[in-house]
Amino acid sequence: MPRVTFPHVGESYRAFKMLMEDLGNEVIVPPRPSRRTLDLGVRHAPEFACFPVKILLGTYLETCPQGVELIVTTGGVGPCRAGHYAQLHKKILRSLGYAVDVVVLEPPRLYPLDFLHSVRRLNPHRLSFRAIYECVRRAWRKLQALDNLEKLTHKIRPRELRAGETTRVYRRVLEWVDRAYTMREIVEAERAAAEELQKVPQDPAREVFKVGIVGEVYVLLEPASNLEIEEALGHMGVEVERSIFLTGWTRDNTWAETHEVLTVKDAALPYLPELLGGHGRDSVGNTVIFAKRGFHGVIQLAPFTCIPEIVARTILTRVSRDFGIPVLTFFLDEQTGKAGMITRLEAFVDLMRRRKGP
Amino acid sequence: MAKAYLGIDVGSVSTNLAVLNEAGEVLAGLYLRTRGRPIEAIQDGLREIAGLLPPGVAIAGVGTTGSGRYLAGAMVGADVVKNEITAHAVAACMMVPGVQTVLEIGGQDSKIIILRNGVVVDFAMNTVCAAGTGSFLDQQAARLNIPIEHFGELALKSTNPVRIAGRCTVFAESDMIHKQQMGHPLPDIIRGLCEALVRNYLNNVGKGKEILPPVVFQGGVAANVGIKAAFEHYLGMPVVVPEHHKIMGAIGAAQLAAEEVARTGRTNFKGFAVAELEYRTRSFLCDGCPNSCEIAEMYEDGRVIGRWGARCPRWDVV
Amino acid sequence: MAPSVGIPCSLLYFWFYPFWETFFRELGARVVTSGSTNKQILDLGVKEALADACVPVKLYFGHVQALMPEVDFLFVPRLVCLNYQTTYCPKFLGLPDMIRHTFTGSPPLIDIRIDVREGLHALPKAYWQAGRALGAKHAAVARAYLLAWKAQRRYLTLLQKGLLPGEAAPGKSSPTGKRPPDRRGRLVFGVLGYPYLVHDPYISVGLIARLQKMGVGVITLENIPPRLLYRQPLPLDKRLFWTPGDLVYRAALYLLSSRRVHGLIHVTAFGCGPDAMVGKYLEQALRRHPEVPFLTLTVDEHTGEAGMATRIEAFVDMVRRPKAGW
Repeated sequence: MPRVTFPHVGESYRAFKMLMEDLGNEVIVPPRPSRRTLDLGVRHAPEFACFPVKILLGTYLETCPQGVELIVTTGGVGPCRAGHYAQLHKKILRSLGYAVDVVVLEPPRLYPLDFLHSVRRLNPHRLSFRAIYECVRRAWRKLQALDNLEKLTHKIRPRELRAGETTRVYRRVLEWVDRAYTMREIVEAERAAAEELQKVPQDPAREVFKVGIVGEVYVLLEPASNLEIEEALGHMGVEVERSIFLTGWTRDNTWAETHEVLTVKDAALPYLPELLGGHGRDSVGNTVIFAKRGFHGVIQLAPFTCIPEIVARTILTRVSRDFGIPVLTFFLDEQTGKAGMITRLEAFVDLMRRRKGP
Repeated sequence: MAKAYLGIDVGSVSTNLAVLNEAGEVLAGLYLRTRGRPIEAIQDGLREIAGLLPPGVAIAGVGTTGSGRYLAGAMVGADVVKNEITAHAVAACMMVPGVQTVLEIGGQDSKIIILRNGVVVDFAMNTVCAAGTGSFLDQQAARLNIPIEHFGELALKSTNPVRIAGRCTVFAESDMIHKQQMGHPLPDIIRGLCEALVRNYLNNVGKGKEILPPVVFQGGVAANVGIKAAFEHYLGMPVVVPEHHKIMGAIGAAQLAAEEVARTGRTNFKGFAVAELEYRTRSFLCDGCPNSCEIAEMYEDGRVIGRWGARCPRWDVV
Repeated sequence: MAPSVGIPCSLLYFWFYPFWETFFRELGARVVTSGSTNKQILDLGVKEALADACVPVKLYFGHVQALMPEVDFLFVPRLVCLNYQTTYCPKFLGLPDMIRHTFTGSPPLIDIRIDVREGLHALPKAYWQAGRALGAKHAAVARAYLLAWKAQRRYLTLLQKGLLPGEAAPGKSSPTGKRPPDRRGRLVFGVLGYPYLVHDPYISVGLIARLQKMGVGVITLENIPPRLLYRQPLPLDKRLFWTPGDLVYRAALYLLSSRRVHGLIHVTAFGCGPDAMVGKYLEQALRRHPEVPFLTLTVDEHTGEAGMATRIEAFVDMVRRPKAGW
């Protein structure tokens, strides 16, 4: 059985692990990015490569010594650098003496043959397409369950009575979803988990601010890369809504551009008519949409030196002025300190409170 | 009279002098603080080192290096004015034959030099301040009220270093203060600081360089055992700190002067008397174009001997 | 009175100025350029542009501000793709939007979108739109377009003969009087990087002039015919996405395999996104050519005279010393 691994993106590894095992691979589960991951990644990645490159490289450097033969990751068509990560990582890993291969899943809409070939490589059990479809469907459902639960924590955390209770329950119920295998089990686990989360004692009268989170996909989806900003905001009584979830992102990049993306494009049109690569235009469009929906503020998360987000940030200054919505940006990398972030977040919440008035 | 060669390294933080004999041995060495007054530092240094020389020694050549190399060169009449990378590489080769890697951390910049078979094949200097220079350590030592000499020993006592984040000194300092306020013990913070400096150095200056032993660590910061230990920890190999690590630039400049004089057969050295001459500098803003360059001029006994700071040839000397 | 069109002398100006200047001049417009970068321009740009942006963006902002009070139109093209294969970096794609939403009082922008993937006529169509913005007739635009091409071709020929963008400027002397530099028996360095860094003497702190003063001949990306570059085999699974980055990488491979240089200098801007990749691939390519010393120079708005001089001098020493013997 080939030993495979993949990037660690939030809790999604639970679904991918199931899928890869179903197809007949031995999965080496990527560890949650830690200080050690960062040290390893930063040491071997180019200094101004973006933060995701460093974290992913660090993750691979942690799993490769365990005998990984194949890395599964996604590609891209530029001009965002993310499309080149896989090639860069392969070169660096090879130069460090790891004989790994990388399977890059390029958007099947553009490269259908390439995609089928990649799928074949990941399918040593030689399952039929019908059987693969069933496996993917279950993994997809699991991914949705994980996304839904995470969304729920965003609503409950700012209202919880005992600080940290939501996170504790969330950690516990994730394991229920993790253990579910059949379609029925997954649906059931999700329902039970949601009910358990709803039981967290809440204060319905608390003043809660709504903040939209926009930015680059990886630093949005991997809490370890954004210093758990959503949790920190939750503890300050802020309900966050993230513009990207893995299920939505996958859909946009595999089948057709969904309805949501089209509206985001429309919203961004007066400000940024061009697709910049990455999520530059989405950041602008989503900020406009959050503003129209009456959110109290928007936080943009971007890797340090990410050009699409830098262009977006330049334009967001204008959006912020036009719609009267405060926008706070964090350019994240290994040098970002949590203390500095908390200070800025507290000030941002105070600012929203003052704008809202008594 | 025995021939000897003088090297002067004028850096932003320290001004160092060294005198070598013809065999390349150090006859005398001196480490002084520049204190923002390089001319005085050079004059003090010359006066002092003249007194340290054994009798019957004559200076047959002089070389200058460091960020103040042009100023020093104009003052003393240097035979060779060399950049500090070449000077450091030459000195490291003399002190540790076969050296393949030179790590150098000075007051305001840091560099790495890669040598193979005694020839420089690659080098890099810091591109960001990276909180990775000696001045930062000095500042923090002063802030924590610890003599810089004890900094390294304290670091070695730590068992659980804290992680200090920050690409530039200001952020690193605020992160450090934060850790202090959270109650981390002092040795852990100091060791964290040493590790942050080494990490930033290796990730910025040392990125992509093939670091092979023997590794020589020199520059003012090399005296700090905490930093040396952190380097050994990260690199996984022993790191040599040469005896004269503080004045390696000056040693290299002296050696380069010896080579130059061997070729030309004569020296431009004005003699130790320059220590008593009157030097004056003044600066003005050039109004030739919107660049408004700040031009610095140096006078020796009322005569202009050097001008620096222009982006165009308009003020080239004399 | 003829309308005036301002062209900021930054970013791709160094590649396309003969075309742009000729085009607008032939349309009867008064072409105003912002001139060489100076401290004032840089300071203006640093003040207005996002601190996290790379220095070329800051410079461009500065050049735009220097032009704003003087012109009726500002030419800020949106360059997307010129070779059917690679696109420009995202900052070029969003350039007009950044300018428009930062400077509310700016004169109208001529922000034509240039993307040849749209079809055979994409390029003339884009310039036709630029002409229409000035109210020019169809025939006048066609004529200006052809003359602009002629000027551009002459410029490219001069570059490929070995002249540098600064030297090949149409106004400086008659094209016939320009001789390609004689590089025989001299040290020759390849100086690779984006034109807005390498050929802007202010931001590169006079890199090329310094090298020439030390007796080093210089070959830049512009001196190598593009067809040679595009024929260069790449040791990559996937080509680079960005036109200038792709070209720099190919130029390095070409100079290494044709053994034309004694040293290679890569000029990059602090925090440049594409260069994080390009630089890493260059480093790996150079590892297969240990005989060619390699230096990366990082520039930004704080780059000082002293640091630059030290690095360049040390690099020249490093190449020269082994040749002269210790």
